[in-house]
Amino acid sequence: MPDFEIQTKKLQNGITFIAVRGFLDAHTFEEMERTINDLFEQRAHKLVVDLSKLDYISSAGAGVFIGAIGTAQESDGNIILMKPSPNVKEVFDLLGLSQIFSFADTLEEAVRCFG
Amino acid sequence: MPQSYHERITISNDTKFLSLVRDFVSRMIRLSSLSREEENKVILAVDEAVTNIIEHAYENQRDGTIDVEIDTDTSKFKIIIRDSGKEFDPNSIQDPDIYQHVQAGKKKGLGIFLIRQIMDEVKYIFKEGVQNELILVKYIKRT
Repeated sequence: MPDFEIQTKKLQNGITFIAVRGFLDAHTFEEMERTINDLFEQRAHKLVVDLSKLDYISSAGAGVFIGAIGTAQESDGNIILMKPSPNVKEVFDLLGLSQIFSFADTLEEAVRCFG
Repeated sequence: MPQSYHERITISNDTKFLSLVRDFVSRMIRLSSLSREEENKVILAVDEAVTNIIEHAYENQRDGTIDVEIDTDTSKFKIIIRDSGKEFDPNSIQDPDIYQHVQAGKKKGLGIFLIRQIMDEVKYIFKEGVQNELILVKYIKRT
């Protein structure tokens, strides 16, 4: 199985669902970054990132979301992080990012964050 | 009866080997008396330290190797990381203001901050012409 996998799916109301799986670290973050940049180029700025199957994240992985949230919000979008595992949430907590990013437990809740 | 363990791995200067380092640290934590609640965090701290060496000491391009040595007993889980890249003292890096960091869209520069939050001791030694040595220690609490 590869270290890291991403699947994207367009939902209604211009929202894009991104499911990630595996290990998001200094070796794999560029793939995540490319995916988000490609979506931004398609003017898709409302992103729901499903982290439930993500086993691990380091600061390089979290950095992708830090680098992207400003662009998303400037274009009336946002990045909503869905169902992180305790290990992944712990990293956002340690970095102080849990106060800055919005988290959702379900897709419905994530979609509601876009109003 | 709790044991002392001492093991070492050496990797090439490439982020593709980070998973090997994480697996090694995980295995050693499970052998040690360190609480499993600390496992993810200590693995993260070592990952961040090795990533910094790849990106800063070796500047992502020079050939080189990184040694990760773990020495654990009943009182501490100690990791010694050695490389022969350029001098890079993590103590010279200030903790970021995370709100400003996000506002500026900075993707990097959080590894040292994480290491300091997780580990009880962070020591750096530069031996000119020889190597950089970073020592990370997590105290093992008696239950």
